[in-house]
Amino acid sequence: MISLAGRDILHGWGKFVLTGVGLGLLIGVTLSMAGVYRGMVDDAQALLDNSGADLWVVQKDTLGPYAEPSSLNEDTERPIRAMAGVDRAAGVTYLTMQIAHEGSDVRVMVVGAEVALPGEPGQPPHLLAGRRIVHGHYEAVADVKTGFAIGDRVKVRRNTYRIVGLTSRMVSSGGDPMLFLSLKDAQDAQFDKDSDAIVRQRARTASSPVLNPPGYPAVAEAVNAAQATSNNVNAVLVTVKRGADADQVAAAIRRWQRVTVYTRADMESILIDKMIANSARQIGMFLVILAIVSAAIVAFIIYTMTIGKIREIAVLKLIGTRNRTIAGMILQQALGLGLIGFAVGKIAASFWAPFFPKYVLLLPADSLRGFFVVMGICTLASLLAIHAAIKVDPAEAIGG
Amino acid sequence: MAEGIRIENLVKTYGSGDTAVHALRGVNMAVAKGEVVGLIGPSGSGKSTLLKCLGAVIEPSSGRMIIGDNVIYDGGWKVRDLRALRRDLIGFIFQAPYLIPFLDVTDNVALLPMLAGKPNTVARKEARDLLDALDVGHRAAAMPSQLSGGEQQRVSIARALVNRPPVILADEPTAPLDSVRALAVVDLLNSMARQFDTAIIVVTHDEKIIPTFRRLYNIREGITVEEQNST
Ligand SMILES: Nc1ncnc2c1ncn2[C@@H]1O[C@H](COP(=O)(O)OP(=O)(O)O)[C@@H](O)[C@H]1O
Ligand SMILES: [Mg+2]
Repeated sequence: MISLAGRDILHGWGKFVLTGVGLGLLIGVTLSMAGVYRGMVDDAQALLDNSGADLWVVQKDTLGPYAEPSSLNEDTERPIRAMAGVDRAAGVTYLTMQIAHEGSDVRVMVVGAEVALPGEPGQPPHLLAGRRIVHGHYEAVADVKTGFAIGDRVKVRRNTYRIVGLTSRMVSSGGDPMLFLSLKDAQDAQFDKDSDAIVRQRARTASSPVLNPPGYPAVAEAVNAAQATSNNVNAVLVTVKRGADADQVAAAIRRWQRVTVYTRADMESILIDKMIANSARQIGMFLVILAIVSAAIVAFIIYTMTIGKIREIAVLKLIGTRNRTIAGMILQQALGLGLIGFAVGKIAASFWAPFFPKYVLLLPADSLRGFFVVMGICTLASLLAIHAAIKVDPAEAIGG
Repeated sequence: MAEGIRIENLVKTYGSGDTAVHALRGVNMAVAKGEVVGLIGPSGSGKSTLLKCLGAVIEPSSGRMIIGDNVIYDGGWKVRDLRALRRDLIGFIFQAPYLIPFLDVTDNVALLPMLAGKPNTVARKEARDLLDALDVGHRAAAMPSQLSGGEQQRVSIARALVNRPPVILADEPTAPLDSVRALAVVDLLNSMARQFDTAIIVVTHDEKIIPTFRRLYNIREGITVEEQNST
């Protein structure tokens, strides 16, 4: 026996291939959407991995520092550092902002980390080029995705920083590349007030008899000095000693400090289940719609192809072809369309993924799942045409 | 001569009660192998209904049909697989060739033996031999769309013959042809009937070819009348 489906496809391959390519682009979009979601999850994982922390200590009852604002006094780290099971503890600040660079601006997450000691949590774990920050001020390490180069000077708020090192895959949960500063510099950047605000604040202090008691000018000066600096951090990152149990250490910190502590698992659930959840549902909706559209296209094409062959199908049935053979022919054509579409889609998605502004992670497992979904959709979509073909009466081949 | 097909008292009523249409009211026919007979009659007389009953695509209401040695209908179907019956015992020729456009000429003919389970090489060999016999062997590798109308008709005749059925049903096979070609087709059918020892029933209202049949069945209001052509 010969493959009727194969012969039919070869006979009209132009139309078939064009349809397959169109379907393929749609499948490519679908795979990319899944890749966008995987990229977001991977960005979140990278953020947690690269922070180097086992525990995140944040302001009490907040989901900080990534999902909600959190503010702690930097001295919070001291008692924590002294606790059993704690290896290291370091304050960090996070601030997402636009930074002007060579005429355009780049969205970055400015990270303030304790740079005095190498290996403190919060620092970039590895550098691609250059060196780590060694001076307390005006040096920065940037993720390559910022487009900054070593030696570049970038302005963050009022100060200019020199890029001394480059790192990679250091991104915020939103996919923005990181710019590392020393904690002090980052605190200044985060809490700096502009000159007008300082002038107004000073005028208010000066006019308050409590803050500026007559005859004691030093009081107002002290108040002003206190208001102009900040020693807050957004979180304290904690690593636990080898062999210590992170959950137990977290419980101990919770017991003794008025703070909220998250473990790695807690943090993942905050980032992935809470922050990304809506985007995931959004993408899920798109996937469902794209699946329906693909199914409609396949169903429509296969149905038109079948309706165009009604006469031939009647003849085939009259001369003794089984319904099963004819249904098989239609199913094979639908699957063939799916196969072309999947191949084109996979190639297209791999081709255009790097051009997306955010990380698109194409997992082979997703492709495999996509393949089976495509084949399933094609099978379903062929049912309509198969139904029409089964209904064809062989008597139709004999003129009325 | 051995009998190709015999029909006894065949009745077909569409619907029932007040709306019943008595399309066939008792048809009697017998065609020997090697013989070509015409089936004529005015529009609505029951020609297509008879052809569909013979072709086992609609079920008669009563009567008997025998193809070769097989009683296929006797008040009810006597064979279980009508599809196989059509494939193995009946050849069909239509008004238009109705070739499968995506199969080449050889495979259009070889499809039937293939459907009957013959290996592709055997089926194709049989097809090519038959195409040669019908003078279209040189177009064996062409696609149907590349053939002339006459060549397509020959291929469709080869397809009807390939499983060596005891009977071939031809439904207005000359309708679209001019008289020279129409007569050539009838000649061809006559020689094929003799060569392959098959009974051929040609449904037609084509005045050009009616005189060529030695024997005719004229059907009127569902009843056949046998006629002889004196020439
Ligand atoms: N499927 C059907 N249902 C009801 N009546 C039918 C059907 N097919 C044909 N008929 C009727 O049967 C009669 C014979 O029709 P048909 O066999 O097509 O005649 P012919 O082919 O000689 O023109 C006509 O009266 C026609 O209207
Ligand atoms: Mg008719």
